[in-house]
Amino acid sequence: MASGADHEDNLKNDSSEMVLDAFRWMVLARTFEDKISSIYKAGKIVGGVYVGKGQEAFSSALAVNLVKGKDIYSPLIRDMAGRSAFGEPLVDAARTYMGSSKGPTQGRDGNVHRGNPREGMPAMISHLGAMISVVNGILFARRMKGTLDDAVGATTIGDGGTSTGAFHEALNLAAVENLPLIVSVANNQFAYSTPNSKQFACDNITDKAVGYGITGVEVDGTDLVDCVNTFKLCVEKARAGDGPQLVVGNLLRLSGHGEHDDAPYISEDLRKSKLGEDCLSKAHNRILDEGWANQGDIDDIFKESDDEVKSAIHTAESEKVPDPYSHNWSAYSSSILNE
Amino acid sequence: MSITYLEAIREAQSVALQKNDEVFIYGQDIGFFGGAFKSTKGLYNEFPDRVLDSPISEDAMVGLAVGAAIEGMRPIVEMQFADFSSVGFNQIVNQAATLYWRTSLACPITIRLPSGGTPGSGPFHSQCMETIYAHYPGTVVMAPSTVEDAYSMLLDAISIDDPVIFCEHKYLYYHLKAQQLPKKALPATKARIVRPGRHATIVTYSAMVHEAVSTAEKLSEDGFEIEIVDLRCVKPIDIETVLGSIARTGRVLAIGEAFPWGGVTAEIISQITSEGFNLLDAPPARLNSLDTPIPYHPELWRFHRPTAHSIEDKIRKLIKE
Amino acid sequence: MRVPILMPQLGESIAEATIRDVKIEIGQSVDADEDILEVETEKAMMEVTTPCPGQILEIIAKIDTSYPVGAILGYIEASEEYAQKSTPIEEPDDLSEQKSENLTNKKAENNDLANPSVTPTIEGLPVPAKATGARYISPRLRARMEDLGLNAADLAGIAGSGAGGRITVEDFESFMYDLETKKTSPASSMRIAVADSMRRSWSRPLATVGSPVKLDSLLNHRKQSNPKPGPTIYAIRALAIALGERTASAGRLVGNQIVHPDSIDIGFAVEVDDGVLVPVIRKVDQIPLKDLIAEYSSLVDAAKKRRLPKEASSPPGIATVTNFGTFGIVWATPIPLPEQNLVLGLGFG
Repeated sequence: MASGADHEDNLKNDSSEMVLDAFRWMVLARTFEDKISSIYKAGKIVGGVYVGKGQEAFSSALAVNLVKGKDIYSPLIRDMAGRSAFGEPLVDAARTYMGSSKGPTQGRDGNVHRGNPREGMPAMISHLGAMISVVNGILFARRMKGTLDDAVGATTIGDGGTSTGAFHEALNLAAVENLPLIVSVANNQFAYSTPNSKQFACDNITDKAVGYGITGVEVDGTDLVDCVNTFKLCVEKARAGDGPQLVVGNLLRLSGHGEHDDAPYISEDLRKSKLGEDCLSKAHNRILDEGWANQGDIDDIFKESDDEVKSAIHTAESEKVPDPYSHNWSAYSSSILNE
Repeated sequence: MSITYLEAIREAQSVALQKNDEVFIYGQDIGFFGGAFKSTKGLYNEFPDRVLDSPISEDAMVGLAVGAAIEGMRPIVEMQFADFSSVGFNQIVNQAATLYWRTSLACPITIRLPSGGTPGSGPFHSQCMETIYAHYPGTVVMAPSTVEDAYSMLLDAISIDDPVIFCEHKYLYYHLKAQQLPKKALPATKARIVRPGRHATIVTYSAMVHEAVSTAEKLSEDGFEIEIVDLRCVKPIDIETVLGSIARTGRVLAIGEAFPWGGVTAEIISQITSEGFNLLDAPPARLNSLDTPIPYHPELWRFHRPTAHSIEDKIRKLIKE
Repeated sequence: MRVPILMPQLGESIAEATIRDVKIEIGQSVDADEDILEVETEKAMMEVTTPCPGQILEIIAKIDTSYPVGAILGYIEASEEYAQKSTPIEEPDDLSEQKSENLTNKKAENNDLANPSVTPTIEGLPVPAKATGARYISPRLRARMEDLGLNAADLAGIAGSGAGGRITVEDFESFMYDLETKKTSPASSMRIAVADSMRRSWSRPLATVGSPVKLDSLLNHRKQSNPKPGPTIYAIRALAIALGERTASAGRLVGNQIVHPDSIDIGFAVEVDDGVLVPVIRKVDQIPLKDLIAEYSSLVDAAKKRRLPKEASSPPGIATVTNFGTFGIVWATPIPLPEQNLVLGLGFG
């Protein structure tokens, strides 16, 4: 949590724009995912729906610190806010959910798996930890080519994902190679239904960073200002050549694992704890308190988000679904292999 | 001057590094040390920025290669032994092999698997993994049997825009020698008729080609002419050449050094029976290793894998069918 | 040497003919192919000619008497050279034996089976005794045979070199190569159909029994009848009555049940050009003998013209009568049609 009047002033000067920016993406993400969730419950969504409710602050705070066209951002399933903040067109998200053939995966991969590796946003696979080394590879290649400059690569994961071998291998490798990697861990206390007590035995996930010889910091994942500030610092350190940064955001998922899950494993006490605070209303209040924007400005943000969501979904809905008969059924890019 | 199979692999990598700045090699002990088998010997001195040691992290090595490919590079990943590629399995089959399908972005990586048995190597330094990787869509799986192919096919592998699993056979590393490297070669995805015949066809690849040839030479003394098809590339499979051969002979034996359950030989026979049933004058035959882990002791090992002797037994039976 | 004058095969379908005229005298010299007897078949008046030049020794046949095809009608004295050329069957001792009602051939009885003149040898067989022939046909061989319009039975004469005597494509190709050196002529569709039917019949165990029948009372009855039923008609009628009483004999075994015929429909073999047709008479057990004659004759005529009414060919009967005795054959193993399990053969006795 922020502390001290000097720091607060400093923060306002340096970060208020960034916080407001992040807040906009949080509102857009929340509006979009609420809409998608209700469409899902009407049976009109292709595949599952996994939302980032309660994680929008932590997600968008990382992305607003990245520069599209220069940095790498490899999101996971609860990063609707981060994806939008990094520049993913909302219509691309709507297209995948609505099964449009114009979506980024052309119907070939699922909703939250969409990505655009050409524009610095690799498309995730479901195997947790696997994307970290892909980001490593992009950074590694750029450094080899001499095009890395001060770019960073960021990727996200959850508490459960830190238990995988891939997570370990990738962080270890990034540390060995001193890559400008930021790994954000949304510690939402549960991997699907498995609590952290069954996931790791160290006191805090940041303890793992010690083993890799990298920086590990903790942040209140429900506090947008804290998140923006922390990521700002970590991104700057990575750009400066300080090597991989592990950022753990403590928070609670305010939904089930997916929209099919009512999360009976999350206790009422935990829901009512500080971890269970809604980052969106918390940020809303903070912005008003700080006077960074008034209620009218915020109403506009909600209104604009609502319009944008409706428009994106309308566009996606009106587009054709993939046609299996004209689909290019080849797993090879080389034409010689498709003969 | 003579050049070994291993030197051909080294030479192909050297040529690729010279010709294309996007090529780099990543693997364990491959830098200054030159690799566990010396297949990158001297390359680090020549290309210190592109011949790079990795930690023992097969998953992260392949993941890194995919990331580098996204960035426009053409990585070569050396697994120290094919057997250890199982640790990187997820990144190979789920990340690399699906990248193009998921994102329309090509994934030009080459993963070199020092494969197959040598005496005394045991269960975890002898495996043939071609079947496992060929099973997944999006992979190209090569298994060269000659010095010339090792060279030209590795160059092809590096230039192909899709993930190539390059199964180089350790037994051939030092055993096989050629006078010179080829300037022109058959495309890597085409099978080759190693030896013409008319009584039966052997379809095989990698080190088993040599076992098959010595069997064929012996049977030739008895008047049996065995045609041998070297698949070269396991996937995509050049089934046309295989069927063309069976059209001449009517009989087929598929041989692989890998484990028998499922696999490349099963795939060959499956395709032959569905697409060339009317060419068959005898039930198609298969020969693989025994269905146990690979034994350590050379006496057990020689019995475990197909050899010229077991091939001869099988082919004599096939001819009499 | 005595050369028999035989009742000739007067068209493929004809089983017997009645002598209407004798055009020569005993002792008369004749050329080959000279008309000597006029006979009437069910179809037409025809001539019987001499088998070779010589001198008429004897005419056994009597005017207005029917004789089956192959029956000896008389003898010619001919030179040995001609005799050898024109003695198609072994000469019976005399006419009385030929006319004997005893269907058991005395020759056959006398034939000493304990001392066969020809000892079967494995070496002498075209196919090794252990060969399983065309039991397994590889896909390639099957495809090749389909190209050539051949079927499994055509491979019967090939010695297979494959596993278990299987015929390989190589065996087959060398067989086909050999065929090219031999004279061939196209087979009629009738002949192919008959061969196919016999092959299908042969897919189950077949047994043949022979039994002599005294025809005295039958011949007596026949003498008193007008028109006179032929022996085949008597046999059809007799078989129908017997099967009507014991339908199980003509029943089909399906699983553990015998399916009894519900109509005593009897077929009879009629030789037609290049084959055999089997017209069927429905409910024979309910047709008096007298009425059978007309129906029989009309069906024989229709069969010869290949104009069998549909109801006479389908469905097939429950049993068939075949009178090979009209060819002078005393013993044969008639093969029941694939759909039937009974065939009654009439031999010459």
